Amino acid sequence: MGFIEILYAETRFVWAGLLRRKSALFTALLYPYILTAFVILVGSTMGSPQLFVVRVGIEPVPFFIVSSFMLMSIMGVVDDIFWKPLFDEFMGTLPYVIASPVDRVLYFVALPLPRLIIVLFIGLSSVLPVMIMYYGVAGVYEAVVVMLLAGFGALVFATLAMCITGALYIAGGETWRSLNVIRPLLMVLLGVFYPRWLMPLTAQYLSWALPPSHVVEAVHRMLAETTGNAVQYFVLLGVATALAILYAPIGSTSIRAWERKKLREGISV
Amino acid sequence: MAKAIVAKNVVKRYITRVRKGLVRSVKKIIEALRGVSFEVRHGEVVGLLGPNGAGKTTAVKIIATLLLPDDGEVYVEGFDVVREANEVRKRIGLLLSVEKGFYGKLTGRENLEYFGALYGIPRSVLRRRIDELMKLLELDKLGASSRLYEEYSLGMKARLGLARALLKDPPILLLDEPTLGLDPPSARKIRSVVKELARNGKAVLYTTHNMFEAEIVCDRILLINRGKIVAEGSPEELKSKIPQMRTVVVYVRGFNPNDVERVAELVGVKPSLGIDEEGFAMLKFQVRKPEEVLNDIVKGIAKLGCEIARLRIEEPTLEDVFLYFASR
Ligand SMILES: Nc1ncnc2c1ncn2[C@@H]1O[C@H](COP(=O)(O)OP(=O)(O)OP(=O)(O)O)[C@@H](O)[C@H]1O
Ligand SMILES: [Mg+2]
Repeated sequence: MGFIEILYAETRFVWAGLLRRKSALFTALLYPYILTAFVILVGSTMGSPQLFVVRVGIEPVPFFIVSSFMLMSIMGVVDDIFWKPLFDEFMGTLPYVIASPVDRVLYFVALPLPRLIIVLFIGLSSVLPVMIMYYGVAGVYEAVVVMLLAGFGALVFATLAMCITGALYIAGGETWRSLNVIRPLLMVLLGVFYPRWLMPLTAQYLSWALPPSHVVEAVHRMLAETTGNAVQYFVLLGVATALAILYAPIGSTSIRAWERKKLREGISV
Repeated sequence: MAKAIVAKNVVKRYITRVRKGLVRSVKKIIEALRGVSFEVRHGEVVGLLGPNGAGKTTAVKIIATLLLPDDGEVYVEGFDVVREANEVRKRIGLLLSVEKGFYGKLTGRENLEYFGALYGIPRSVLRRRIDELMKLLELDKLGASSRLYEEYSLGMKARLGLARALLKDPPILLLDEPTLGLDPPSARKIRSVVKELARNGKAVLYTTHNMFEAEIVCDRILLINRGKIVAEGSPEELKSKIPQMRTVVVYVRGFNPNDVERVAELVGVKPSLGIDEEGFAMLKFQVRKPEEVLNDIVKGIAKLGCEIARLRIEEPTLEDVFLYFASR
């Protein structure tokens, strides 16, 4: 049972659902703008946009559009991996998914891809126009890089998401409650809205453990144009990849342990 | 060819925790299966018949590789359900519940396409197969193809469930109460499809607690009660296994309920007493050989000065078998 078949199945699943809920698609398109407007509105009550440029080194509007877009891509992957087992259990589809001759780890890797691809295209309606507005033709280039890096950042999160999912489901109880605690924590530690170099030290250390946080930092640095040093970007992306690979065996063990536990206790129908 | 399903001495215990107070909880062990052995061959429908909580679903899940047994062995076409789960998964079609198990926001066809892809069926084959199954189960007539699953009636849900079980054309079908709650047309459709499939060589394990259904669908019945198989055989064999086989029902005009003891003395068998809707007393004698007591019954009732309005001899039903074994 190959990866392509699972990917095809999941793509059909996501597409069918998305086409049926056009409002969801519409909201997704607006999401980066809504978030940016909200953050800037709240931010303006605390400090001027000029102050933001001084502290962060980036214009607030492109910063938050890009950040919202990154967040959407990266958390989308985590959400798909976190929620699909819960959703399947709730719908009663879990036994049929588990009874399919599909490799569970491949399945979890394929799971977030269809939605990710759709989300990346949303960059065309959010990141691209804003970047062009602020940076002119060079903005096109930056927008493309941002979209590619958003995809990359999302992918390197998959293995850690598998670790967490497996561990949470094994711990049992009302998993979705724990998820509601962990999710915002991950969002903060990613450093999308609050650049890592401004975080307190302990938070920085925790943030380091999240593979996509390095990708986010790379994007922020690119926007801030602090240095033109290419090595720095390679190091950041390299660390992200290395962490993702490091988490892979733990993730697959964790998922398999969860399945094993399910098989011992019985999957409710 | 290896036997479709072989179960040997299967044991399954569920461990649950029962809360006692705020932190303290007590472990409770539920013995769902207590050494169950049986076989299912290709080309037959075997009914797993038992009351609620007997362990039917547990047995089905173990065969379907969805539950690990604590002891014993199960083979599906020679493959071990624990050690060779993927081989087993390729060979079984599964229906666990008729009212759940699909995505509500997808149409019936989209649901089948999703699971078909997950089962690794090539796209061109899958499309043809779905058309076939939609026709076979008359889902196309019901407009199921383009409607969302969440709008389906229970009958349509059950048919779609059977369609999914048949998607990869598996040699073995595990159907857990596939007609539960269905109206007669849908139930009849499902039963006839199942029987036809078995005639064409599929092995079917069919759970139900409906006696009538087990009798008309199954070639062989396994009676399961409290985690044990208590009787096994064709419906006829099972009926012949219960000792008090027949019931002589006598409708009597002008019977005095206090005379039951006297009738018992005269006939040698104590009847149970009821009243039918026309007001006749209804005396039921449970006997092995009705011909040996008929004379005594007629004479005895005449002696009491009563008149027999009607008389009927009832053959045992599977329900009697069921009640007989379930109460042991
Ligand atoms: N996941 C579980 N955890 C704990 N106990 C369970 C679990 N599943 C089933 N049981 C218990 O195991 C026993 C057998 O259950 P099972 O579902 O196999 O019965 P069944 O024959 O399918 O009954 P029904 O006709 O109600 O479907 C029951 O006592 C049930 O309460
Ligand atoms: Mg059951």
